[in-house]
Amino acid sequence: MAITAKMAPIQIKASLPSLPPDWSADKDFKAISSLSQPTNRSLEPVGPHFLAHARRKRHHRTFSEDER
Amino acid sequence: MSAEEAIDEVQLPARTAIGISFGNSYSSIAYTSDGKAEVIANEEGDRQIPSILSYVSGEEFQGTQAKTQIIRNPRNTIAYFRDLLGKGFKDIDPTPCHASAHPVEHDGGKTVAFVVQEKAAEEESEKEAEKSTLSVSEVTTRHIRRLRQSASDYLGKDVTAAVVTIPSDYNDVNKAALTEAASNAGIEILQFIPEPVSALLGYDAKQSLTETSSSPSDKVVLVADLGGTRSDVAVVASRGGIYTTLATAHDYELGGSSLDKVLIEYAAKEFMKKNKKASDPRENERSLAKLTLEAEAVKKALSLGGSASFSIESLADGHDFSLSVNRTRFELLANKVLMSFTRLIEAAVQKADLDILDIDEVLLSGGTSHTPKIASNLQSHFPESTVVIAPSTSSTAINPSELTVRGAAIQASLINGFEVPEIRSSTEAVVTVTPHLHHAIGLVTGEGSNGFAVLVNAETPVPVRRTAQISVKAGGDVILRLAEGVRDIKVSKEEKPATNGNKHDDEDDEDDSDDEPEEVREKVWKAGKILAEAGLRGVKKGGKVEVQVNVAQDLGVTIVCREVGGKGGVRGVLDAGRAEANGSA
Ligand SMILES: Nc1ncnc2c1ncn2[C@@H]1O[C@H](COP(=O)(O)OP(=O)(O)OP(=O)(O)O)[C@@H](O)[C@H]1O
Ligand SMILES: [Mg+2]
Repeated sequence: MAITAKMAPIQIKASLPSLPPDWSADKDFKAISSLSQPTNRSLEPVGPHFLAHARRKRHHRTFSEDER
Repeated sequence: MSAEEAIDEVQLPARTAIGISFGNSYSSIAYTSDGKAEVIANEEGDRQIPSILSYVSGEEFQGTQAKTQIIRNPRNTIAYFRDLLGKGFKDIDPTPCHASAHPVEHDGGKTVAFVVQEKAAEEESEKEAEKSTLSVSEVTTRHIRRLRQSASDYLGKDVTAAVVTIPSDYNDVNKAALTEAASNAGIEILQFIPEPVSALLGYDAKQSLTETSSSPSDKVVLVADLGGTRSDVAVVASRGGIYTTLATAHDYELGGSSLDKVLIEYAAKEFMKKNKKASDPRENERSLAKLTLEAEAVKKALSLGGSASFSIESLADGHDFSLSVNRTRFELLANKVLMSFTRLIEAAVQKADLDILDIDEVLLSGGTSHTPKIASNLQSHFPESTVVIAPSTSSTAINPSELTVRGAAIQASLINGFEVPEIRSSTEAVVTVTPHLHHAIGLVTGEGSNGFAVLVNAETPVPVRRTAQISVKAGGDVILRLAEGVRDIKVSKEEKPATNGNKHDDEDDEDDSDDEPEEVREKVWKAGKILAEAGLRGVKKGGKVEVQVNVAQDLGVTIVCREVGGKGGVRGVLDAGRAEANGSA
């Protein structure tokens, strides 16, 4: 069974705001803040998707490496 | 090929592994062929095999045959023993064993046992054969040995391994006791799997066979495993098909037998009304056993049909008994018990710190989940957006008595190619304990920047990668603001239309809240902390923008935005745990 993390893109129905005329950033990207502290929880070690996760973790593979 | 890689490829041929669900009331066995789980019927044709052993004239009976012995031969019939395993005498609740063999102290109170007459009495000698003391462990071994035999007979192969379902509150001592008991029966337990999680896996696996897309959608599922002697609930976040249990709730006194009791009370009273001189059948052990067995059958029949009948020969003092019960009457009598299931489930939602609006699916598992009123009560308790998966409410439901064992069989087939130490290592904390996103991640949307669209849900384990597409009708320069999301419950009053026909005419006349505006609760998303901004310039009219968010193990985020079919795009990185103002990508 070839289960990868590849998912169909989520289709968002809303619209994007237009770029404010005075907005500017180096290479058009501004990093503003980091993610909030995560919660440590235990995954249930069952099912095909967990196995794929465990395999990536064991091999230190990224999603795209895993898909090759 | 390195040794590491080889692990993923090697298939061990020799082992035949099945799924076993071992409940206090019933057990089931299942195997998987071509990715489909199938529940195996034993020699008697039962797929739900009563977890009961009975000794009659030196012979051992199991399942339905043993169950009928509770009437004739109660003290040599052992039932409701699963929850006694791996427990001290002081820690058990012997109540369910009341009508069968009674558990006694064993091994200095460290475990429990049953004393039964296992061997046939000697033909010539007058005196009875000696009784045997069977530890719970031994009883479990014998029960599992027979399950193994049934599976081996059916498959034509010697079954030597299994994935076994356990309650979500089983501790290491309980597990060790079950491992040992199974091993004595010739079954190597490859993995334990909590009952509600197994039920969800069983359901999702079946769903994925019929769905076209290979990627499961994110959902929060409340699994309610409603059994015979107990009920267990788990709230599970399913993210890309990976499960995380957020909360569990248990009731060790609520189950199918609580519903049987309602029918027993009712039938006993009717019997005494009809037979004024007869004694109370609840006072006599044998009469009560007959009544109990029949009440369960009537209850099961009422899950399917509108009415069902008690029919018992010589219930008490030689009087036969027959009584027809319709479903409405049953639901009325059992109303309090039925509501208790809803309350337990509601308590689990609260324990998970969630609102009922956060629950996408309620998956009903366990035999008692066949009861239509439990499902319909839940359907009206939860919002319309919540799908209640039970035989009476959903066409995609799978027999709730089979869900847990199906999941176990699926898991058995998934891991059957691995060596046991390897399976073990993938269930250890270093692999399973994982950071989960505290907040959802998404995009700020709308011209007024007052909307929020979720890309990655809260409680998603990392690493995770998600891709989304969004149309830009007008084209031009757009801004992608990546933010954390806050889920709010918006409560508003909705005026009822002044006249809505005669819909409420007769039923609700006591309910004067009818005239008041109805409260409408809905789930709304707001943008919280802004994480990053990206400008995408010169998008075609009617174009589409694709954004990919990749959260690494260390919670660093990589964002890539580009126009679908366009060239270039913007790529940026957010470092983990360090707020960076105006840092460049
Ligand atoms: N069709 C049905 N309608 C209503 N109740 C049913 C139906 N089928 C089975 N049950 C009830 O389900 C209960 C058994 O549930 P299940 O098979 O999940 O057992 P279990 O997990 O061994 O239970 P426990 O461990 O809680 O004692 C029994 O009370 C049984 O009467
Ligand atoms: Mg159960």
